[in-house]
Amino acid sequence: MQYVLGIDIGSTASKAVIMTYDREIYAKTVVPHGTGSIGPKQVYEKILSENNLKKEDLSRILVTGYGRFVFDDADNQKSEISCHAKGINFLNPEVRTIIDIGGQDVKAIRLNEKGMILNFVMNDKCAAGTGRFLDTMANILNVKTSELGSLSEKAEKVVTISNTCTVFAESEVISQLSNNVRLEDLVAGINKSVAKRVASLAFRVGIATEVAMSGGVALNKGVVKSLSEELKIDIFVHEDCQFAGALGAALFALEELEKKGDAIT
Amino acid sequence: MSKTQEQKPKRQLAKSMIMVNEQTAKVYAEAREAAEKGEPIGWSTAIFPQELCETFGIPLVYPENNAAAVSARHLGGQFISHAEGEMRYPINICSYARLNIGMADKITQPGWEKVEPAMPVPTFLTLANNSCTQLMKWYENLSRNLDIPIFFVDCLYNYYEEEPAPHKVKYVRNQIENTIKKMEEFFGKKFDWDKFLEVQKISQINRIMFNEIVSLNSRKPAPMNGFDLFNYMSSLVLCRGKESTTRILEQLKKEIEEHIANGTSTYGSKPEQYRVHWEGIACWPNLGYNLKTLKKYDVNCVMNGYVTAWDVAYEPGDMDGMAKAYQTSSTNSFSTPSIMEKRTESIEKFSCDGMLCHVNRSCKLMTFHIFVGRDIIEEKAKIPTTNFDGDQSDTRVFSEAQFETRLQGLVEVMKANKEAK
Repeated sequence: MQYVLGIDIGSTASKAVIMTYDREIYAKTVVPHGTGSIGPKQVYEKILSENNLKKEDLSRILVTGYGRFVFDDADNQKSEISCHAKGINFLNPEVRTIIDIGGQDVKAIRLNEKGMILNFVMNDKCAAGTGRFLDTMANILNVKTSELGSLSEKAEKVVTISNTCTVFAESEVISQLSNNVRLEDLVAGINKSVAKRVASLAFRVGIATEVAMSGGVALNKGVVKSLSEELKIDIFVHEDCQFAGALGAALFALEELEKKGDAIT
Repeated sequence: MSKTQEQKPKRQLAKSMIMVNEQTAKVYAEAREAAEKGEPIGWSTAIFPQELCETFGIPLVYPENNAAAVSARHLGGQFISHAEGEMRYPINICSYARLNIGMADKITQPGWEKVEPAMPVPTFLTLANNSCTQLMKWYENLSRNLDIPIFFVDCLYNYYEEEPAPHKVKYVRNQIENTIKKMEEFFGKKFDWDKFLEVQKISQINRIMFNEIVSLNSRKPAPMNGFDLFNYMSSLVLCRGKESTTRILEQLKKEIEEHIANGTSTYGSKPEQYRVHWEGIACWPNLGYNLKTLKKYDVNCVMNGYVTAWDVAYEPGDMDGMAKAYQTSSTNSFSTPSIMEKRTESIEKFSCDGMLCHVNRSCKLMTFHIFVGRDIIEEKAKIPTTNFDGDQSDTRVFSEAQFETRLQGLVEVMKANKEAK
């Protein structure tokens, strides 16, 4: 059997997906380090070693994400916009609007019925509403970013975080902490703050059902719930949402092989 | 210097561009000479009726044009810092204004280190608010700081109409005529109406010829790298009423026609794959990076919504026509639907596959419509669009990674659209 590899090197994490020629996800893995760190090398080595594969077993490697230009073994690279669209369309062909909250940017992508991108919008040059905002807040609260979802589920009320600027919101959260506001209520407020910011962006691209979230932040149930409330619509979250970019990269690698006649589906 | 850098051949400038550079140097030299002699010299907004000072033979230089040139050479930071620091101007105002107000203060101080093109200290200001309303505050500040007068032509905004109503035309015409009288007093010279007619004629020849040249870029493949238009545009800004501009445009047209005949282009030997319409002012400090990245993805920004702002069209001798033209040449004086209608026409004429929108932090007016404008373009022109953050002079806003990601995303959508056809 032969394989292709898609890697999504983000600003805070690196994700990898290996696919077979018959479009099955063979393996997937993530490491919590992004571009400019050991992350890309680590995720590459990890996915190979965990699955007893060698570089030679990979017919093609396609890389996406902010670190896409600096991965030595890549055969090609594509933007994360196209890769997320491709990946989510594979996971659920009914999706017409994708919202991806990445470490340093947020994307809202509209697809047509064939899965082609109609339009996309991305955040302004500002960390508000990004994964980095959540990381910073988790750090202040001394919890893990991955815990923000479950903590917000235990909230009794949602504290309003009025600042969207990461630096000002940090001061605001510290101030709330010193007023003995419950941690869970604060976390719910933080998730709500992200959701409000992202909803504005999503409205810019125009919402069409079905709406899906991709990327690691989609695993935060608090953000998904708040965003769903802001958009007044259900949001589809696939269990592999975090791998959507890497999956899309693998699918593009496969398409490129097919174009060359090297892969038969 | 590395070996690779040493071996890299320097791109030879086209004769027309050498002529532009010579013309710019001459304008500044004449202005500085006049200043040294104690003669009047003006600073002007970019779309002021230049015909007046051209007729009086009084030199004008243009702070917006100067700020663009200084920014493109990465030399604007010191003036912006001076304006924000010692002069206490906030970061949220236009960066051209910050740069120029900072420069105006620096150049009046002894021993300042000149930055080319070096502006002489002005003795008066000319202001028309047809392209931007912030200009009024900017020039008011210059006027107070330098203690010099402003000749102001107040152009009205066109909310609901393509053609300014008669009372608006009359209002601007009266102001132009009144400005002439005031200038006669200030300069101590009579206005030569025959020479004025000649200047009007030359101005029309130049703007028509520039339009013809711009139109040539609608050919496929385009004979010009669209960014060249930003550079040649400066002749119209600085010297719209001069015959030297006619000579430049004649030479440029000849060069472009040669490119067409030879099947070549100033875009380079690698053919353009995607034709894009640029929205907004150029991102001057990052022009080189923008161009390099566009080329990397085989994109030619064949046209933009900026260079036609100096298409001030009227019949020589027709003062009403002139008054109307100065109210309407910049699309900034129109409503968003009107602007986007013009952009749609341009996108179709230039066969653009996509639109790249510069969200210029400095320009609130042009940023106001950026998202709704995108929607209109996507609906009417049926092309994909993307936007990126930047600024015309302030280097703190632009992000190379953001620009490339969005451009690449746009290219991938344009590619998929072409393949689906």
